[in-house]
Amino acid sequence: MVEAMVSLQGIHKRFGELEVLKGVDIDVGRGEVVCILGPSGSGKSTLLRCVNLLEPPEEGEIFIEGHDICKGPGSGSGQESWELDFVRRRVGIVFQQFNLFPHKTVLQNVTLAQERVLDRSKQEARAKATELLERVGLSEKLSEYPARLSGGQQQRVAIARALAMDPHVMLFDEVTSALDPELVKEVLDVMRELAQEGMTMLVVTHEIGFAREVADKVVFMDGGVIVEQGKPADVLDNPREERTQKFLGLVLER
Amino acid sequence: MSEFFHQYFDFHYMGEHFWEVFEAFLQNLLIFAVVAVLALTWGLVLALLRQLPGKKFVPVRFVTIAYIDLFRAIPILIVILLISGGIPFLEFIPKDIRIPHWFGKPDPFWYGVAALMLVYGAFTAEVYRAGIEAVPGGQMEAARSLGMSHWQAMRHIVVPQAVTLIPAPMLNEMISLLKDSTLVSVIAFSESVLISRELLAESFNSSALLLTGVFFIVIILPLARVVDKLIARNQGKITRGSHIEVA
Repeated sequence: MVEAMVSLQGIHKRFGELEVLKGVDIDVGRGEVVCILGPSGSGKSTLLRCVNLLEPPEEGEIFIEGHDICKGPGSGSGQESWELDFVRRRVGIVFQQFNLFPHKTVLQNVTLAQERVLDRSKQEARAKATELLERVGLSEKLSEYPARLSGGQQQRVAIARALAMDPHVMLFDEVTSALDPELVKEVLDVMRELAQEGMTMLVVTHEIGFAREVADKVVFMDGGVIVEQGKPADVLDNPREERTQKFLGLVLER
Repeated sequence: MSEFFHQYFDFHYMGEHFWEVFEAFLQNLLIFAVVAVLALTWGLVLALLRQLPGKKFVPVRFVTIAYIDLFRAIPILIVILLISGGIPFLEFIPKDIRIPHWFGKPDPFWYGVAALMLVYGAFTAEVYRAGIEAVPGGQMEAARSLGMSHWQAMRHIVVPQAVTLIPAPMLNEMISLLKDSTLVSVIAFSESVLISRELLAESFNSSALLLTGVFFIVIILPLARVVDKLIARNQGKITRGSHIEVA
């Protein structure tokens, strides 16, 4: 068995009285693509945000490349710890709302953290950014501001921005949910290509077709727990659990 | 009725003392300019201290909030009187500092500047805070997720966006500050109100005071229109739903 790239063990997360995650275990192998499905409020986005410590879990352990990144409950609250640096330099995230920096050009969005965090020279950062933006099909938009781009284009910039930091793992948090239907494909195409190149990916999504085609493993969550997980063919086409069947029925009906 | 006009609108008297009052008014503008630079800086420092994350900065946040609350609550006049009536007698402070005569300005000038800075730092901190809090939380999250520190994220991402949201309320603070520069007259600094009152005492005529008022109106009225324009511009942005753009 290959060492897991990301391993989540018994993750619990509470927001006040509300327990959003009630003990979640997931293993993601190197180069694997794991898709997390589930109704809204099932805790899937929170789980993803736990992996890069945007929401430090209260209980449980997260291993990234074998390193425990939360030493005991509440350790993430310091926010300036070794764990944070370790995680943020290995894990990239793309958000539902893009969160591009509106006061920076497309190119600056992709070079800023390279220069400030990785101490790359201007030329290095620029070369890397240009290459990545070309890869996501935006080499003509380098000097535009994000507000001038479509949602799909903005999301592709966000993917390039995350990739510029040379992450070992990429997290995708419902990255196509805020897009007009005709813009979804261009973003999924970029993600599909990334998966083919062997990037380790943890993807929260409602795109069943994408999960079926690209995922090595599909995880179905509901009510803060994993209901079932397995190969896409098993979970998506022959779900064992009633809750999974019901959810898939509702989603596929559309 | 002519007595009334004579008391307030004696144009001959105004003309006679115009340059005297005008020069004193320049002192108000000088106080304003110095304090504006200091308070805008001090306010930003306070706002950033207030936004420090995590448990270990609880004491810093507490002290900052206490400072801001205190100096917004206490009348500026009292601060001016406390500083000018106290600092000079604190003998453990070197004389050049407790009785400053820097850049050829007398000590009351500097006591006034200090008092206004302390108070206006607190007010501008609240304006900065409103701007910082109006920047969507996703911006900080995105910056932090890319490995930037809290300070880097503040400096490169949050504050540059925050300051584009607040010119209108900040200009309001600056208008107040310009007017409050007249309070330094109570500690015998020769600015426009003090000079006008001396003229009033000497001639029993209020026209110089009215002239001083006109100087302030002439400077501030256009600024008030600028505030309106800025507000309208921001409103337009919100209703159009577009992102802010800065070069």
